[in-house]
Amino acid sequence: MSWALDSEDVYNNSPQYGSYYMYGDYDMSHTGDPRQDMEYERHYSSQSYIVPEVIKNFLLYFQKVINQQDLIEIQNSYEDGFNTLTDRFFKNSPWPEESVVAPIVGNDSRFMVLYKELYYRHVYARIQGGPSVAQRFESYYNYCDLFNYILNADEPVSLELPDQWLWDIVDEFIYQFQNFSIFRHKLGKKTEDEIELLKDNPKMWNVHSVLNVLHSLVDKSNINKQLEVYTSGGNPDSVAGEFGQHSLYKMLGYFSLVGLLRLHSLLGDYYQALKALENIDFNKKSLYSRVPACQITTFYFVGFAYMMMRRYQDAIRTLSNILLYIQRTKTMFSNKTQLYDQISKTNDQMYTLLSMCLVLYPMRIDESVHSHLREKYQDKMNRMQKGEMSEFEASFAFACPKFLSPVPPNYELETTAKSKEPYALQLKVFTEEVMQQIQIPIIRSYLKLYTTLPIAKLAAFMDMSDDDLVTQLMCFKHKMKNLVWTKGTSGLDGEFQSASEVDFYIDKDMIHIADTKVARRYGDFFIRQFHKFDEIMRSLKAT
Amino acid sequence: MAEAMRATVASLLKGIERYNPENLNTLERYVDMQANENTYDLEANLAVLKLYQFNPNLYQATVTAVILLKALTNLPHSDFILCKCMIEPSRLMEEPVSKVLTLAELLETANFNLFWTTLLKDPDLLIEGIVGFEDSIRKFVCHVVASTYSTIRKDKLRQLLGNVTEAQASQWVSKYGWTEQLDGYVFIANQEENVKTKNITEKISFDSVAAIMASGR
Repeated sequence: MSWALDSEDVYNNSPQYGSYYMYGDYDMSHTGDPRQDMEYERHYSSQSYIVPEVIKNFLLYFQKVINQQDLIEIQNSYEDGFNTLTDRFFKNSPWPEESVVAPIVGNDSRFMVLYKELYYRHVYARIQGGPSVAQRFESYYNYCDLFNYILNADEPVSLELPDQWLWDIVDEFIYQFQNFSIFRHKLGKKTEDEIELLKDNPKMWNVHSVLNVLHSLVDKSNINKQLEVYTSGGNPDSVAGEFGQHSLYKMLGYFSLVGLLRLHSLLGDYYQALKALENIDFNKKSLYSRVPACQITTFYFVGFAYMMMRRYQDAIRTLSNILLYIQRTKTMFSNKTQLYDQISKTNDQMYTLLSMCLVLYPMRIDESVHSHLREKYQDKMNRMQKGEMSEFEASFAFACPKFLSPVPPNYELETTAKSKEPYALQLKVFTEEVMQQIQIPIIRSYLKLYTTLPIAKLAAFMDMSDDDLVTQLMCFKHKMKNLVWTKGTSGLDGEFQSASEVDFYIDKDMIHIADTKVARRYGDFFIRQFHKFDEIMRSLKAT
Repeated sequence: MAEAMRATVASLLKGIERYNPENLNTLERYVDMQANENTYDLEANLAVLKLYQFNPNLYQATVTAVILLKALTNLPHSDFILCKCMIEPSRLMEEPVSKVLTLAELLETANFNLFWTTLLKDPDLLIEGIVGFEDSIRKFVCHVVASTYSTIRKDKLRQLLGNVTEAQASQWVSKYGWTEQLDGYVFIANQEENVKTKNITEKISFDSVAAIMASGR
């Protein structure tokens, strides 16, 4: 049974569930179809535009290497060729339209789908005012065509693309979905025609279809089974099946898991988010972790989910691992402007997340990450430590992902305020959690000064009754005892631990305090310097 | 019953099927079963909330409240937060969900005395239908006590457990292997073992310097 039929059988007979979009079956003659208008405009504009020779040559070459499956040259055309020409010819204007390009490449339909993937991505990224409603729909259709081509084939399609591109496809697909979900809620700035168009096309960029694509890619590739076998030391190919053995399917499957992590996080479903990765051992380097942008996205969302779940120790471990990785590899990306900017932004967001987690759960982290934190975030951390909620809120706003609502707005009734709701909810959950713990840093600062302290005395310091203080102390204990991952691949598992800097217990009316004393570390620093020096020596010798 | 359902439900939660609203009735009945039979299945309950999120017209406040109360029975796990993150803000203000939120706040801040009095004040609260709710909360209280105290006054412990009788308190004490002392205190554990000043000194592993030594040849 083919993939599209499969989903049709299950969901077509349920009216409220009809919101699934069936890939490929769309009809060009549909009334209200934005394509018709587009078709006209395109025809019109194509007459006045002459494609420069260099672009023509590039397109033909790009097509040739894709059809020859020359991975290295595809990668070059994709990463360098396209971007260089973009900067030269299409800095703020779109690449040539489909109707212009198709004849050039002899109406190679597969190439056109891939070309349009880049075309719309470029429209989203570079064109002032962003894509029009029609362009959003067009791009959606194009992704449908692409995934249809890959998923509905009877046998694996003979196509290989660089990992980076495959990651970008999944990443961009979710990005455009996210962008659309937010866009459709901003009713204030829309014309009536636009609203009509949105209303007439409720299936466009529907959350179900996005989930459907990701799940289908996961299933088709058997990626979960592959990862299970891979973790236990076996050969993933033994369970990969016909499709999953192909790099295209395998990598799309893997990236779709990360896509699910991201999508569920955007919807506030942190459990499913982490569950999507349950077979990935991301504490260890693997052959799947060769795309840095994917690594960084993964750790960012995992770290964020842990923070929301009050698993601070896991959040801190996850975030400092990736921040260290970025710190060490940053120079690698410096020649790729777009990637570099994106990584820098995520980098700052993750430092902000880390700073919040460390205020709530002070513990030791890697020295070099810590020193950057001290340098750049000390003021903010001090304010949070003092219990300034506005600083927590500002940090959260900066560092959180763009949450979204999975359902279309009620176009008649709603105001723009509704579009802020998903964010407002996550902020509310987080700040309420912080409010519950807001006294803890203050109590901790007193405890640090003593080894034993009578309850009554601390109560007097805190200006509260003995009973209230004891309540606060129990709250301290509860909040500082987090579930911590210890073993296995599932990031959801763990045991309760407390690794916070200051700990205590109550014996009758006395608080007994245990502090953490840390001797300065030198080894790490020297080892790193050795390596650096060694590298310099080697490159000197080489020249 | 609920245990038998677990496997059936698990198959409804696989892949894309999880988002099929036709399964909602079954999942809602399963929530009831968990309440009646004192079992718990977080994943299934989150799937219900997910379906409400995707289909706001199918939302049911009572089911949501039961899910949230069940999440409280699994404290100290942070299930409650996971659920809360998926409920529309306006729904959180409505009764009975809003009342459950108040209870959660009290438990999360270890304000046990106020929790029990709030619970008493509101007899029509849904916890009637949730078998073993109070004892589950007492387990959480014991968890917090066990990590906070080395010795605690027995009457304080009784209070924290919701003003239980002497005999009931003694049952909890023996359940956790604590001992009642003659001076009116309960001995919990010798916390010196768990809570002690840590001196972290650096240890350099052979592996980390092996590479350097190799390169120096």
